Amino acid sequence: MKAYASVAALAALASAAALAGPTLTAEVNGMVCAFCAQGIEKNLRALPATQDVYVNLPQRIVAVEPKAGATITPETLTRVVRDAGYEVVSVKEVNATAASLRGKATK
Amino acid sequence: MRLAAFAIAASFAGVACAGPMGYNGSTMAMGDFGRNWAEAWVNHAVTPRDAFGAGYTWMRSDDDRVIHRVAEATYTRLVHRWNMPHAQANAWFVVGAGVMTGNDFEGERFAWTPGFQLDYETTRVYVAAMGRLYRAGSIANDYAAGRAGFSFYEAEYEQVQPWFLVEARHMRAMSERVEVTPMVRFISSRYFVEAGVNLEGQARFNFMYIF
Repeated sequence: MKAYASVAALAALASAAALAGPTLTAEVNGMVCAFCAQGIEKNLRALPATQDVYVNLPQRIVAVEPKAGATITPETLTRVVRDAGYEVVSVKEVNATAASLRGKATK
Repeated sequence: MRLAAFAIAASFAGVACAGPMGYNGSTMAMGDFGRNWAEAWVNHAVTPRDAFGAGYTWMRSDDDRVIHRVAEATYTRLVHRWNMPHAQANAWFVVGAGVMTGNDFEGERFAWTPGFQLDYETTRVYVAAMGRLYRAGSIANDYAAGRAGFSFYEAEYEQVQPWFLVEARHMRAMSERVEVTPMVRFISSRYFVEAGVNLEGQARFNFMYIF
């Protein structure tokens, strides 16, 4: 019985993960100062759908990863970045988590 | 009276990072503390370009004889921002309205304080120029300052980034000297602090914090 429950739970998690929207990365102009760019991170983390956020100043990248079963649209990401005072050059979907992007950058 | 111009203008200079306001919806606190003055501001950004706030300044003349205090309501406007691939430049307008008290005149005087700031910043270089007028009845003073600095290295978003910068400022009629202050600045995604000692050996400390 326990085994069935575990399998069902794993299946549910996998299903939710499969339904999660992709991680979005935005190329951002003007993002040169961590103190001033904190608004991007704070406002993205405040979204109910956000799982994780990654900001890379040297590469001018902001990445937002949605929670399992949730989706964040490019329009939402663009609006948050613009409200923080920056210009979005482009947004693309990537097959990676924010943590993995962070890990790649620190290697 | 000249002290008021000095203090208000310097308070504006003290908050010179990339800008004297935070992001839309944020509340930012700023402080600038030196031997002849201490001031604190707080403002709230109601749009990405507009912030309303309040400030209080205590200031003293170079000869220690005159002390002024200014309490004001402030409005800050991001007039224009240039977001470039590896740089950002800004034009700011700020104005305050409030009252000044002091030990060289009776009562309170209405004061208003229009000013501007232009800045340019990359991850390694920072330059800024700012000025502010002070008007209170017959009192009229001007203030001008410039800042330039560099960071010791390019930092990741999560890291603390140290900077070195020099500020030169002049407060007409309040002080005959041009005050030159070398400072170190530490920036992270959570705080902004500056500390320095001017060429007369007087300490200075600035901070900004966004809630």
